[in-house]
Amino acid sequence: MSRVIALCFLLLAAVIGFLHIDSRPAWAPFATNTVALAEEELEVPAPSKSKNQIVPSKASIASPISTWLPETNAPSVHAASLIALRDGTIRAFWFAGSREGAADVVINSAVFDSKSFNWSAPTIVMDRVSAEKGLSRYIAKLGNPVPARMADGRLQLFFVTVSIGGWAGSSISSVISDDEGLTWGNPQRLIGSPLINISTLVKSPAIAFSDGRLGLPAYHEWIGRFGEFLRVDAGQVIDKRRMSSGRDAIQPLVFVNDTQDAAAYFRQTRRAGYAKQVPVSETLNAGQSWESDTDLLIANPNSAVAGLRLNSGARILVLNNIEIGRHRLVLMMSDGKSSQWQVIEVVEDDEALPADQRKEFSYPYLISADGNDVHLVYTWDRKKIRHRYFSGAWLKRAQGQLDIPPTNVISQEAK
Amino acid sequence: MNHLMQIFALVELSITCAVVMTLLLQKTSSQELSLITKVIMILLLGNLFFWPLGLGMELPLVAYVRGVIGDLSIVTMLLLWTSLLSGNKPAPLAYKVSVACIAIVFYPLALGFGMIDPYAWGYGSILFFIAVLLFAVVCGLANWSKGVWMIAIAILAWAAHWHESANLWDYLLDPFLAIWALMAVFGVFYKRRRDKARSGYFFRPG
Repeated sequence: MSRVIALCFLLLAAVIGFLHIDSRPAWAPFATNTVALAEEELEVPAPSKSKNQIVPSKASIASPISTWLPETNAPSVHAASLIALRDGTIRAFWFAGSREGAADVVINSAVFDSKSFNWSAPTIVMDRVSAEKGLSRYIAKLGNPVPARMADGRLQLFFVTVSIGGWAGSSISSVISDDEGLTWGNPQRLIGSPLINISTLVKSPAIAFSDGRLGLPAYHEWIGRFGEFLRVDAGQVIDKRRMSSGRDAIQPLVFVNDTQDAAAYFRQTRRAGYAKQVPVSETLNAGQSWESDTDLLIANPNSAVAGLRLNSGARILVLNNIEIGRHRLVLMMSDGKSSQWQVIEVVEDDEALPADQRKEFSYPYLISADGNDVHLVYTWDRKKIRHRYFSGAWLKRAQGQLDIPPTNVISQEAK
Repeated sequence: MNHLMQIFALVELSITCAVVMTLLLQKTSSQELSLITKVIMILLLGNLFFWPLGLGMELPLVAYVRGVIGDLSIVTMLLLWTSLLSGNKPAPLAYKVSVACIAIVFYPLALGFGMIDPYAWGYGSILFFIAVLLFAVVCGLANWSKGVWMIAIAILAWAAHWHESANLWDYLLDPFLAIWALMAVFGVFYKRRRDKARSGYFFRPG
């Protein structure tokens, strides 16, 4: 009799379970709201020798602007990220403390006024104690913050927390702000791993699905080092897909080509003897399945890659294009039609200095405020966060000058 | 809602911590603890874990435990809780073998071995859900009603989003359940081998 009752209860659970599965949102295509603009504005002069070619004159184009994120008196800062606010300003997030992984690390934020080129005073978005009280569990340290804009206009900040061990023991949590980052709600845990939810981290910007949900490129960094694509609905993971496998690639950066097609560029973490280049995965079904593709022939010394697509169709990458060290950081561009990349600006370069005097320039993060310009932030020697601004006109001119034969470009970068 | 979810999770884990301590005490005690003793111990220890004690700690004890082990699956929790009841029958070996086999395949794949990720099935795969139901039905047919109840409750908890996870796997399996099943299977295997050896089976003349 008890068995019959148990099976009847199972039947009830089965019905409710099926209803639950049926109520889940179907996987949606990528949102590509810049595609129309891209087609329209792709009037960038082709690299021809025509005398009538309209290329903005050098004199009328301002050089890239450089600022520093505000000091917090913390000896160590790292992992800056950016998001454009509704009023045209830019909000930055980064973590700061006595050292990376210390208990006193906090996530700071400041706002950049694009008109006065000034940063506001830094504020603390999250510290370890606030995180552990909000998440109702012990937290040992905080890590990478990554902001995103939700479909309803609110800001969501994903950030890494660790309860035990090193970064391999990480989990992702998020907080939501209704007022453009002035105040934040209670943190929520994202569950993305079956082994006590450890070893899930985030570094690269989220992308939007057409149904308003976010696709968050995440990665594991423990037994395996691989990318995963999390489908996030507010504060919870509702699905996920593997982007790579093994121990070779982390920190995926996603370039969306159209509603179904996207490519992910990774930071390589390969063993000695293997190619130190940017691993690539591709999807043709809006991220539901990913396949490894041939490497991007740009050197990568196991360091983060940042990138974005401009409205003109051009793509931007910022990375350390060397096989060892992080002392050289470059801005690269591709016209979007081909897979050829060209260095258009050397952002930092300590190559000429002796090895022990070279500084680290790492963890770049890019956004565009209007689809034409680029804001870049990166870690400067772990002591400061540097901000560079490249105007739309400057980038347009650079795009117009992409005229070096592609074969030369690739061979130069792969060296 | 999130606040309530956190409180429920802490209450659950506090009770589980108290149950584990009571079970450990029972194991080391020469006498069987009475039901009243067990209830009093769970009430006392559960409250000790749940409420902030101060003493320089920022959080209640259970929050430190949760920081390390996360939220246990519903199945593990129910197995632990019911193990304190008098007349509780231990889980059948077939269940432990099944869990051990699933865990051996599941964890390496879920942690990055290859491109197949069975953990992703737990977010809403119909086929996976049917497989779970079939597993529960087999438990019922094998006359282990407790297994049916546990899996059914886990499914209901998943559908109600009782824990932070939206993945059915997290309601059915966790590393501690997997370790328990593996240890039990190896224990039985070792015991049978030892008994066989002691019976002189290996030394009988042919």
